[in-house]
Amino acid sequence: MSTPAQSQRLSLVAVSAGLGRPSATRLLVDRLTAATAERLAEHGAAPATRVVELREHASDIANAMVTGFPGSGLRAAVEAVAGADGVIAATPVFTASYSGLFKSFIDVLEDTALAGTPVLLAATGGTMRHSLMLEHTMRPLFAYLRALTVPTGVFAASDDWGAGGDSYTADLSRRIDRAAGELAAFMAGRPRPGGAHGTAEEDEDAVVPFEQRLAQIREPGGG
Amino acid sequence: MQFGVFSVGDVTPDPLTHRAPTEHERIQAMVRIALKAEEVGLDVFATGEHHNPPFVPSSPTTLLGYIAARTRRLVLSTATTLVTTNDPVKIAEDYAMLQHLAEGRMDLMLGRGNTGPVYPWFGKDIRQGIDLALENYALLHRLWREDVVDWEGRFRTPLQSFTATPRPLDGIPPFVWHGSIRSREIAEQAAYYGDGFFANNIFWPKEHFQRLIRIYRLRFAHYGHGDPDQAVVGLGGQVFMRPNSQDAVREFRPYFDNAPVYGHGPSLEEFMAETPLTVGSPQQVIDRTLAFREYFGDYQRQLFLMDHAGLPLASVLEQLDILGEEVVPVLRAEFAAGRPDRVPDAPTHASLLARAAEEPDPT
Repeated sequence: MSTPAQSQRLSLVAVSAGLGRPSATRLLVDRLTAATAERLAEHGAAPATRVVELREHASDIANAMVTGFPGSGLRAAVEAVAGADGVIAATPVFTASYSGLFKSFIDVLEDTALAGTPVLLAATGGTMRHSLMLEHTMRPLFAYLRALTVPTGVFAASDDWGAGGDSYTADLSRRIDRAAGELAAFMAGRPRPGGAHGTAEEDEDAVVPFEQRLAQIREPGGG
Repeated sequence: MQFGVFSVGDVTPDPLTHRAPTEHERIQAMVRIALKAEEVGLDVFATGEHHNPPFVPSSPTTLLGYIAARTRRLVLSTATTLVTTNDPVKIAEDYAMLQHLAEGRMDLMLGRGNTGPVYPWFGKDIRQGIDLALENYALLHRLWREDVVDWEGRFRTPLQSFTATPRPLDGIPPFVWHGSIRSREIAEQAAYYGDGFFANNIFWPKEHFQRLIRIYRLRFAHYGHGDPDQAVVGLGGQVFMRPNSQDAVREFRPYFDNAPVYGHGPSLEEFMAETPLTVGSPQQVIDRTLAFREYFGDYQRQLFLMDHAGLPLASVLEQLDILGEEVVPVLRAEFAAGRPDRVPDAPTHASLLARAAEEPDPT
């Protein structure tokens, strides 16, 4: 299989909803980003990486809820995520789910912004009892967005930062590596017709011709 | 080029006094604003159409017919007439009647409406909003152009041998603008018929509307109505002015901060940077409005939103004085300078009548 040319570097964007400084979520994001970049390099496709810290956009996200459009700083973050070849989505667990800030950022994205985009799901929490939150809240959210979520989600509880695995569980490093390998494989193998964004401008102006559109209304179940 | 005002007709408490006008006061205020618009030399007054509180204008042609009787020059229009939930037969009749009473001084802007419950209240489904807009207008377009119509569509009962009365004044259908803030299907619809396209750009950044207007202009040319720069474009604007811009900001800020559409969100300064809202001196409004031409090309109609968010009527009338005396005369001169002759003015009844006299009857 051919690999993307150097002129079309893959874009890996991580979204971190961590609020603390320092933040455990950001710590996890940085390890996942580094591991994914490393594995992509093995595919000959070292990516351009970027981390979107939602805390920096907290006011803009609330404003976008009110006005219906993202302000200029947030717009750049939204466009980076929508244009990414792979996304790492990471949130702390708040009240049995992703944080409100994380969900509000997702709500600002267009419904189709992540359709077909490989996404690695990650979360942090106080105890490992929250770990299935990745499966029962995060994965359905990204299923709705028609993202290509990689099979391994990475949950890091407080204990994980100071523990190895046991006979039943891989330790954090091995889970990170497995998930990063999956994301790198999805990204490197992803078809990119016309280059990453080659046809975006043409698509922007595409319309269904009027008479064809009007005829659709008449068809059974049409419109 | 035409300049005017458009009103949503909201009943909103004044954030300084916490008092809301009664519906009666608000309706009378809309009339005063329209009369003032003519008095200060503006060209157009347009009213919204709403079927839920806190809005009063549910019956645009009643309001506009009354204003028509009390004005001599003003063009009366809508922003917007709901083409989704109104029966297109009734739109054809109501607006033809208005056209006769107003001696042709009217046009209308069609829109879908974005209030979910209005659709079921009128027996419609919001998920079919675009389809309703397209099919209903296809019928409306025929009702004004064909004396006898046979029709069968998806959304309304069929018509056999139906004649909408009265027939349009002088056989000239009212000019139609298609209003949209989002849908390229509506831009395509406007282009297909060679109608006007009004992009209500006041609440969002310009890039979005540049794309919509570009689509409309290119498709207008595709359908053989002229070159892209001859398409008929209208834009919104939202301003508050005082001679000293700091005074304007100080006075308008509480209204901005509590406004129904964007209040309690971004700061006035942030919103001004992102949208056409201009709170400042008349010169700032002039500069900002002239920039629209750079973004969207030469255009035909500029409507300002002046009376919302609880601004007292006295303030709105003062704003119209400033608009009419200090802003619009400069805008007229500046927009006229460098405007190619090939760019048409907004169609009026008189211009459409003259054009019809030149062209052989297509039927």
